[in-house]
Amino acid sequence: MAVNIDDLVRGYGKIKVIEGLDMEVENGSIYGLLGPSGCGKTTLLKVILGFLKPESGSVKVPEGIPGSAVGYAPQELALYLDLTIAETFLFHGRLHGMSPQQIDEKQKWLTQFLDLPPGERQVGKLSGGEKRRVSLGVALLHEPELLLLDEPTVGVDPELRARIWDYLGEISQQGITIILTTHYIDEAGKADRVGLMRGGILLAEDKPSTLMKLHDTNTLEDVFLNLCKREVIV
Amino acid sequence: MNWARVWAIAARKFSSIKRDRRMFAFIVLMPAIQILLFGYAMGATPTDLNVITVGEHPILDELADSEYLIITSMGDVQTARDAVDRGDAWAVIEANGSEIILHFDASNQQVMATIQKEVQTAVQASMGQLPISQGEVIHGEQEPEFIDFLAPGIMVLVCFMFSIILTTMAFVGERNDGTLDRLFAAGVTPIEVLSGHIAAFSVVLVGQVAVVISLAIGFFDIPMKGSIILLFCLALLLGWASMCLGLLISTKADSEFKAMQLTMPLLFPVLLLSGILWPVEALPIGLSQFSQALPTTWAAEAFRSIMMRGWGLEAAVVWKSFLYVGTFGLLMLLGAARSLRIKT
Repeated sequence: MAVNIDDLVRGYGKIKVIEGLDMEVENGSIYGLLGPSGCGKTTLLKVILGFLKPESGSVKVPEGIPGSAVGYAPQELALYLDLTIAETFLFHGRLHGMSPQQIDEKQKWLTQFLDLPPGERQVGKLSGGEKRRVSLGVALLHEPELLLLDEPTVGVDPELRARIWDYLGEISQQGITIILTTHYIDEAGKADRVGLMRGGILLAEDKPSTLMKLHDTNTLEDVFLNLCKREVIV
Repeated sequence: MNWARVWAIAARKFSSIKRDRRMFAFIVLMPAIQILLFGYAMGATPTDLNVITVGEHPILDELADSEYLIITSMGDVQTARDAVDRGDAWAVIEANGSEIILHFDASNQQVMATIQKEVQTAVQASMGQLPISQGEVIHGEQEPEFIDFLAPGIMVLVCFMFSIILTTMAFVGERNDGTLDRLFAAGVTPIEVLSGHIAAFSVVLVGQVAVVISLAIGFFDIPMKGSIILLFCLALLLGWASMCLGLLISTKADSEFKAMQLTMPLLFPVLLLSGILWPVEALPIGLSQFSQALPTTWAAEAFRSIMMRGWGLEAAVVWKSFLYVGTFGLLMLLGAARSLRIKT
């Protein structure tokens, strides 16, 4: 198990954002964390990153987080707009103690893999989709074992979104574990496992196909609706 | 402390500073312009002061040689006083028999003092040596000027101000655009982030300090009795301490406006309470304690002692100033590190 969370409670002051959450993420899988804005997705990611300490419950993550074991792409692009793409990779590579040759090789691979513009282009002058891919590239640069992507497809056109999911599929096949958040219910169906999050807990957590079978529908959206209704009744 | 990471952050920051040409020009030119303006605008003796003489007296004849006064004479005191009343002149100097009577427009104390001093010089010249004379001064110039007092303080102010301006914007934006979060996810510590920034800004700081010191001493001929290297070191230390304060402000400000809001209220007290424009000895109790808590007060006193008195590190004023400014900087750095750390 790459990430194992048991009965996590975490809030800000008196407001509890996460209340008794359980979550299991297998090695080399894509885990889609699905839920509306404000449901606690980003807070959960910050707990996994070690930015926030749990108030109670246990959180098991790989050794070296925060550090080189994790690649994190925040919801905002988190890029220095005045740097070129090459300088961006050089900077982040150095932070992880990579040698210039390693960074150079990796950049070549990423440029091909993510179809990035040439290295001398300034990040600030790239299109939104290009910036999104550079941001993903930075998270992949140092070959982390766990990839945390906060809303990697927000504001991205359908074509690029499909491509990002293709990339993620290939990356997970190399054994990298991916946790991503999204509020596009349809795309979460491509994940190996989804967690439906609402009000600080996971309403359900399983393979998308299993969830749909269980609720006798063929969309995840219906599953979510079903679960929400049931919660209201209870 | 991982120095490779500090170096990576410093290199990245420095290339940003270098690329922002307008900022770079601002950082290098502004301190120079400020020093030049202060040097030209403050502390010099006022000249071309209109003065009216009435009557005849050897002292009045001597006064005619003054390089600061423009003298006209009039027949009677009342007409002359009316002229001063209208603003045509600053003073009437009336010879009444053997007596000299001064009638002033006393609305400007500096002008009045200049005229008084000129009259005194004339008195001395016409009456011969008075039974009072000045021995060789122990520190400073034989004929001290206000600018000699002012210049070290202004140098302190400029070092302080521009180090803050340089750094207050450092993290504005980076808190919200996720770049800092990405650094922390990579395992970078707040102290490493701060050290990287300080290293990059230090390149600019060394240039700034060099410009400030060489302009003050080279251009305005401010006395430099002590070690210029010691002065340079203290200016650098003050710059670093101020940068740490600026970085602390930066961690607290989430917009440029807020950074300005936090900086502005700092600059004025520093200007007024550090003995830069006027001696701290003149401050009322209460404010004088506050003044002693400002690192700029210590720095200004040490600057003056190094420049005017030629004192070195062995003097308490100087080594205490190093110690105090250094401690202040360190506290600000720790505060900034604390404030930069993600809330846990």
